[in-house]
Amino acid sequence: MPTLANMTLQLGTDFNSILNIVWLLSFFVFIVYGQRIQIYIVANDISRALNRLKLMKDKSRKEAVDYFVASGKTTADPAAKIDEFLEYVTIMPVDLDPNGIVGKIEHITQTRDERVRSEVKRILPGAEPVKVSVAENILEIASSLNMIHKIVRHYYLLGKKTNSYILLVQLQMIMPQVLLEADALINAVDTFKLGQPVGDGIGPIIASKYMYGLPKQTVAKDTVMSVTEYKGRTLYVLKAEGPMGYVGEPGIGIQKVIEEMKIPLNAIIMVDAALKLEGEKTGDVAEGIGAAIGGIGTDKFRIEQVSSAHKVPVYAILVKQSILEAITVMRKDITDASDKVHKLIGDLIEEQTKEGDKVLLAGIGNSLGVGQ
Amino acid sequence: MSTPPAPAQSPSQTTQGKSKFSVFTIEECPACGQKTKRAFQVGDYITKDGAKCTKCGNTTRMTLIYAEPTVKAK
Repeated sequence: MPTLANMTLQLGTDFNSILNIVWLLSFFVFIVYGQRIQIYIVANDISRALNRLKLMKDKSRKEAVDYFVASGKTTADPAAKIDEFLEYVTIMPVDLDPNGIVGKIEHITQTRDERVRSEVKRILPGAEPVKVSVAENILEIASSLNMIHKIVRHYYLLGKKTNSYILLVQLQMIMPQVLLEADALINAVDTFKLGQPVGDGIGPIIASKYMYGLPKQTVAKDTVMSVTEYKGRTLYVLKAEGPMGYVGEPGIGIQKVIEEMKIPLNAIIMVDAALKLEGEKTGDVAEGIGAAIGGIGTDKFRIEQVSSAHKVPVYAILVKQSILEAITVMRKDITDASDKVHKLIGDLIEEQTKEGDKVLLAGIGNSLGVGQ
Repeated sequence: MSTPPAPAQSPSQTTQGKSKFSVFTIEECPACGQKTKRAFQVGDYITKDGAKCTKCGNTTRMTLIYAEPTVKAK
């Protein structure tokens, strides 16, 4: 029978026993503190991403201030005014009763846009329209990055405060996509500052080919239209006014053409950039039916409403690109799609309409660096 | 189509993510169709009048502005 002294000696010299004790202890620690350890790891991960977002937010603010200062003749120190803009909020209408909500959203977004433009013009008196539009776009980027940073920080701090593992893990899971979008936004600043066309401008580029040298009329805010002839059809070509960084109001423009100008359209063709799915190639062209237009949805609503009321078929041509490519300088892969898009427009007009018909071609997107 | 090299550190050089791009402006002669590719300059925009055509002397028009990758970072 082993004595007590022998047992102590055995335990003290047996390495396996020590390992067993450590293993049992770690098992106990992980059972009791496992989630806290995971919270610590996840929170660290989010914290690093949050730091990156902060750097981007600060950079975009600095770029905005620099742009205003470099654009000359600022009335006062633009930094204070820009900081005010970054905290500017747009309160969306109540949706408990959705009847008529699109009109309300449109009114609110139009008021916001007009307010931003008038403020930019006040800070940059006498600045040319391109500079004013670029300043508006840069402010929008800085404001978006500020908002992204604030929201991520809010959920990060809330998760830490409440020790909510689920909240932090959800935030950690979406962080790669959030960073991807933030990266796209910060990369867009240089493109806008230089006035270069962006990937989203492929629609206006296509439309500008049909409009060059023709008289233009304004059909909606920042939206121009020309009338030309294509193989016996009257072609109404519409785009946002360039080379300013405007997207215009194509919904109101198309509605005006049909209802106020009483032009009996036989077809509407919309060309726009579309976000590609992973695995799709940049510059791939897709054809379809329906209003090809992004944004908050007010323009799409107007186009759908007026086209269905007057039974005008709407055809869509989409040029695929990523979010980064859509808001940064136009890539060659995207411009290479132009020939295919022109051919598709020609085929659509010839196959879906007959001579004497009236067709509206709308180039949807940001017109920065694209005249007409 | 002639392709002069873009000067370094100019508006025609841009970095996006891990890739570097050169931005070019294409000037096209509406009369003879000759295309000239040159580095982008601030103030360029599509449909703007360009330089005189080297072939026929007509005023060219800027028809495209696009970026091509120059160096792809590892």
